[in-house]
Amino acid sequence: MKLNRREFVGTGVAAASTLAAPIVHAAGHGKPKVVVVGGGAGGATAARYIAKDSEGEIDVTLIEPSRSYYTCFFSNLYIGGFRELDSIEHSYGTLAAEYGINVVHDWATGVDRDAKTVALAGGGSVPYDRLVLSPGIDFVEGSVAGWDLNAQNAMPHAYKGGSQTELLKAQIEAMPEGGTFVMVAPPNPYRCPPGPYERISMVAHVLNTSNPTAKIIIADPKESFSKQALFEEGWQKHYGGMITRIGPDFGGGNVTVDPAAMTVDIDGETVNADVVNVIPAQKAGHICDAAGLTEGNWAPVVPQTMQSRMDENIHILGDATNQGDMPKSGYSANSQAKVAAMAVRGALTGSRVFPAKFSNTCWSLIETNDGVKVGATYEATDEKIAKVDGFVSQTGEDAALRKATYEESIGWYEGITTDMFG
Amino acid sequence: MILSVLGGVALVLGTAYGWTARDHRDAELAALTDRLAQVEARSASLSEQAAQVSELEAKLSELEAALVAAQEEAEAARQAALAPTPVIESPAESEPEEDTVVAVADGLEFGDPEQGKAVFGQCSFCHKIGQGAQDGIGPHLNGIFGRRAGAHEGFKYSEDMSMMGADGLTWNLETLNAYLENPKALVSRTRMNFAGLEEEQDRADILAYLRQFSASPQNIPEAAPTAQAREVELPDDILAIVGDTDYGEYLSSECKTCHQQDGTDEGIPSITQWPTEDFVIAMHAYKQKLRPHPVMQMMAGRLSAEEIAALAAYFGNLD
Repeated sequence: MKLNRREFVGTGVAAASTLAAPIVHAAGHGKPKVVVVGGGAGGATAARYIAKDSEGEIDVTLIEPSRSYYTCFFSNLYIGGFRELDSIEHSYGTLAAEYGINVVHDWATGVDRDAKTVALAGGGSVPYDRLVLSPGIDFVEGSVAGWDLNAQNAMPHAYKGGSQTELLKAQIEAMPEGGTFVMVAPPNPYRCPPGPYERISMVAHVLNTSNPTAKIIIADPKESFSKQALFEEGWQKHYGGMITRIGPDFGGGNVTVDPAAMTVDIDGETVNADVVNVIPAQKAGHICDAAGLTEGNWAPVVPQTMQSRMDENIHILGDATNQGDMPKSGYSANSQAKVAAMAVRGALTGSRVFPAKFSNTCWSLIETNDGVKVGATYEATDEKIAKVDGFVSQTGEDAALRKATYEESIGWYEGITTDMFG
Repeated sequence: MILSVLGGVALVLGTAYGWTARDHRDAELAALTDRLAQVEARSASLSEQAAQVSELEAKLSELEAALVAAQEEAEAARQAALAPTPVIESPAESEPEEDTVVAVADGLEFGDPEQGKAVFGQCSFCHKIGQGAQDGIGPHLNGIFGRRAGAHEGFKYSEDMSMMGADGLTWNLETLNAYLENPKALVSRTRMNFAGLEEEQDRADILAYLRQFSASPQNIPEAAPTAQAREVELPDDILAIVGDTDYGEYLSSECKTCHQQDGTDEGIPSITQWPTEDFVIAMHAYKQKLRPHPVMQMMAGRLSAEEIAALAAYFGNLD
């Protein structure tokens, strides 16, 4: 990565440990203040860890527009009928009541980095000593010709949890007999690399029982994708013939949609579709751009602390960041949040700071009791978050192992959501 | 048959040498005389053998009768040992050697303790049993029959297990059988990370094995406890590392993405309150790829011995 003058350069482990000498920014206005924007896997975790571990020494405010948070992870299992919607719905009640976090349900619209305040859509602003941004993704306008946010009801993205997911599920269930489902898959990098393909598996699972003559088409701009061998083996085994993927060699990257006519043009061939799931190209959540913290589509960060390369008082987490080798996933955001929480506490209260450790595992369900996973560990170098070691499920694994993997994913869901929301 | 063959041989010999008719008759007579003597001798031998066989058969019947009596006696002794007030009697004397399955009340059965010892292998990382057995990840199981659930002093049980004990759950054949079949069906939030023994025979066998270490001190064999060889051989200096609990707390945040602090273990085991040495050994077993789980191999793989000790110290003292 090329650095320019205004970028903040990482301090590394040695320098970070000097933070053990208290640098209290709170002089003149009481306890140090941390504001967290975004209540997902990154933000909720960071807010909880800072509040919990500082034991009341830091005031934490969490700004999140939704009162009910629907996790993106496991939303495919809802589409497949393996989870109820309310099982992936979470509230912020425990974070407020048990951890004393000030939860504000509003949109953060901008950051005044000099005054160190966050502006709210509802008016007013919130001051901070440290700001944590975990805004997730927004879509790159014009990345799929013919589609924009106004078309999201006709052709849902369902790539942010909640009503979009419900809509897509309802459309799949209402497909006519022998109908056609088309997914327009996103280019790299995007949230949850195996997500589109797990979704295809779940759609096939639903159609295989309710509408077995239906067809599934994926228009994909990527040469290859996460866990490809595992998904393709599973699709052949469970849903033989139902799923067709059109890769870039056959024009899968040359797509135009018409939401009014419900057609998808793939490299000059027009497909009449009954359901179209458009997952556009992605970028950091808007507030990163508004605060001047992005370079290209993403926000660059210092690996050791998750501080913005542009502003040492701001930490950025999760999908919005450009950090190196970690995939954009809820697990990654949760992992990064704990490193950032430690760095924030170290800076504001002088608590001990340890070397950053990161990890990620992504589980995917292909069919009932047929779970697979991929994961890696990471460490902070000056340049980036760098992969240390990794593994991926193997093709041809026996049914018992696949079932255990699925059961493990359910345990992980319970674990990470408890880690986020208390 | 023997006689006719011998006659045939004599006839063939006579003809071949061209003897006279008289010679032939004399020879035939002599041969017949010889043959008679042989037959008489053989008959005597057969009679003697028949007598021996009868004698042996009689002895066999006697022995069989003795065996049945011995089995009945042994059975009576075993039933007595199962009675609420145990008979003080050495199991070596009272237990028959066959793989007999003995029925007791409610149709439940004790199986084969030797088989049970093998089945217990999967429990023995957490539960020790036998002379000198100490509590580990789970409580030791000496005297488990008749013990009230969650009541063994000095062991920190899950809230649910303590509550079940307070409500009156006591371990006997019936309750242990139910618990082993599906631990969470009996004690919902038990900390025991075990899915259950599906096979009735396995449960019968393991209960027979556990039973040997219960009820009366004389029943505890003079064997070493099941503290088997460690999974990994670790130098003493690694086991002696005193973990930095603060560092462990930070490192634990990575574990807690999956392992829940309160001991919930749906699909992913609880690691809360493990004795530190067990924790250290388990993590080094993953680090050395002796334990197979790929996520844990990866996580443990990049932890130093100090970091493992820090985690062990933190999780071991967690409420």
